[in-house]
Amino acid sequence: MIEGPATGFWGTAAGFGADLNLTVELIMGLALIAGAFLARAKRYAAHGACMTAVLLLNLVPIAVVMFPSFDGLVLPRLTSHLRKRYYAVAAFHGVLGSAAELLGLYVLLVAGTNLLPEAWRFKRWKLWMRLELALWMVVLLSGIGTYIVWYTPLLRR
Amino acid sequence: MKRYIQKVLLCAGLLGVFASAAMIHGSQVAQAGEEKNASASITIDNFSFTPKEITVAAGTTITWVNHDDVPHTVVSPDKKFRSKALDTDDQFSFTFTDAGTYNYFCSVHPMMTGKIIVK
Repeated sequence: MIEGPATGFWGTAAGFGADLNLTVELIMGLALIAGAFLARAKRYAAHGACMTAVLLLNLVPIAVVMFPSFDGLVLPRLTSHLRKRYYAVAAFHGVLGSAAELLGLYVLLVAGTNLLPEAWRFKRWKLWMRLELALWMVVLLSGIGTYIVWYTPLLRR
Repeated sequence: MKRYIQKVLLCAGLLGVFASAAMIHGSQVAQAGEEKNASASITIDNFSFTPKEITVAAGTTITWVNHDDVPHTVVSPDKKFRSKALDTDDQFSFTFTDAGTYNYFCSVHPMMTGKIIVK
């Protein structure tokens, strides 16, 4: 057995880090949906705690797994290789994912703190939060797509 | 005059023999040099290294060529060699000067492994 990075557990070509990242992101996606149901049930404190936890915890896989991978494998050749699906799907996921995380943090600042001045705060809560949830789901799907393109040769052929 | 011609012919013959010997020796040296700088190639296709295991002589340069449409790397776990991310048709070469067994893997897809045996 060759010593190297640990292999993954989903039975694809991915390493342990990528598989763990996918698993964590799927759980986070489910947690966001659960959080939305908490809001519908008017359990706003639990809703806020759930959404805040997901948003902040998501910074860890971004910093540890996704950004280093994007920086090392995609960014150096992005401009010349954007037509290849390997780069295109990752770029799409990266751009939308960054937007979702930033929008989520903005919503969190407006909804959970008084840090932002009044002019920067939105009033239509449901619209912004639903937009964020929809965007997050698109990002999650594009993340699954990225995983398939990057790590599953049989599914891609 | 006849002796003079004989001496000239003898010298020419000797020169011819020396020249032939030198050419043969040079050819052998060149062949030995070629053997010393032997090369082999390993292809990366469908998420695997082919051949997965290869035995070569010391001094052999091995070139990995990625034929997949996704990037791969060639990394020695003991840090003896490490390629950058190889995109489609990119190559990475490394010369194995010391005898031994060299394992390697793709850092993006760790299930992709291979072995070089240098004798």
